[in-house]
Amino acid sequence: MIRCEDVHKRFGRLEVLRGVSLDIEKGEVVVIAGPSGSGKSTLLRCINHLERVDKGRIYVDGQPVGYREVKGKFVEKSEREVARMRASIGMVFQRFNLFPHLTVLSNVIDAPVHVRKLKRSEALEAGRTMLRKVGLGDKLDSYPAQLSGGQQQRVAIARALAMEPKVMLFDEPTSALDPELVGEVLEVMKSLARDGMTMIVVTHEMGFAREVADRVMLMDEGVIIEEGPPAQFFNNPRNERTKLFLSKIL
Amino acid sequence: MPFPLPSIDFDPHVVWRFLFNSVILEGAQRTLIVALIAQVLGVGLGVVSALMRMSKNPLISGPANFYVWFFRGTPLLIQLLFWYNGIPQLFDNPDITRELTSFRVAIFALGVNEGAYMTEIVRAGIESVEKGQTDAAKSLGMTYAMTMRRIILPQAFRVILPPTGNEFIAMLKNSSLAFAIGLVELSNAARSIYSVNYNVMELLAVASIWYLVMTSVFSLIQAELESRLAVGQNRPPTLFGRMTEAFGTRETRVH
Repeated sequence: MIRCEDVHKRFGRLEVLRGVSLDIEKGEVVVIAGPSGSGKSTLLRCINHLERVDKGRIYVDGQPVGYREVKGKFVEKSEREVARMRASIGMVFQRFNLFPHLTVLSNVIDAPVHVRKLKRSEALEAGRTMLRKVGLGDKLDSYPAQLSGGQQQRVAIARALAMEPKVMLFDEPTSALDPELVGEVLEVMKSLARDGMTMIVVTHEMGFAREVADRVMLMDEGVIIEEGPPAQFFNNPRNERTKLFLSKIL
Repeated sequence: MPFPLPSIDFDPHVVWRFLFNSVILEGAQRTLIVALIAQVLGVGLGVVSALMRMSKNPLISGPANFYVWFFRGTPLLIQLLFWYNGIPQLFDNPDITRELTSFRVAIFALGVNEGAYMTEIVRAGIESVEKGQTDAAKSLGMTYAMTMRRIILPQAFRVILPPTGNEFIAMLKNSSLAFAIGLVELSNAARSIYSVNYNVMELLAVASIWYLVMTSVFSLIQAELESRLAVGQNRPPTLFGRMTEAFGTRETRVH
């Protein structure tokens, strides 16, 4: 479903991604962990072309991200094509990024109505169902500022899901939450995983990784230095740096 | 009763006599309408110009930068005179000249001038919206245009409103410069009366009173608008808001 081939990305003189390659199957839940500055967020942002890669290629569902293949050469996609591709990749951010001038329900239906061109009545029905599923059926007409962090993040997840994406990217979804609110968001993510969604989750929540991940990857200084199923990753890490990292956070 | 001679005497009765004079009222009305239309024109130009200025393409940002530089750097009076006198000379067509009334030219000149100042205000407003909003909108599949229209500009509006209010108050007063191209706005109306009856101070007072009325009413409207826009942000209620609390608070009133 998602393939990265030797992805490089630099910001000015700082090289953040130094040759990242990975392959993620449909329905897989992959957790990416690592120290800050390792490039985890940047990798996610390259996958849905919020950042442009400098070298290497990324494919989502067989389609190259940001570029179209024309007669063996790669031609940069138009803004509209990139937008269309992004519509099928859902992303949840650390700071929620809900639209403060819209109600919770409006937040969720805005993109389906204006991007997918759904009929408003259908979008409203789907939106209400989605919000009920994440446990916020009674907050439809509230504004984001009136909700707790955990509630806002659940709205953000519902908003991303409303576009019926093929894959969901999570960029440290619980890092900005008070500890007692983390659980409710993780519950939503776990049920999403159980329903078979392809997910890439950048997080420090190793409990979540152990419970739900199919594979855990460690990123450090712009490369993936270890990956494997949770049992092997946590109990039998091969790399020295992995052991060091685990000793610090567990 | 004082003689109608130029003097430093000030007679409040004269002020009262001319306060509701029809020429004065017409002038005040003209001032208000010119200012309103010109401000709307200015905001529109400001939004377009701000977006152009933010473009990475120099062919787009260049003209916008020139526009801002030129119209902020030259006096409004000269711009008024330029549009009013200069354009007819370019076309040299009596039909066009006839259509270029001082009313229309004043609105145009004031609007174009205002757009240059609004550009910076709009740009600051757009940049005040945090980047995460654009990220979220893009990740949902919105194009740049849709993101701007539905997500960024509505939020930028809240930041743009207070300085725009200031600009409008300045516009109400700047409109008086249009007397130079023959527009009979409020100041000109006062002048046309005192140049006949010599009650200079009194008529200036009349004009000032009407300017104060307009700017004060507008300030109240702006304050109320700002507080209404703060829905969901827990801002304290305004004077007007507290006065109307008897009719029900914002949450209980059905919109």
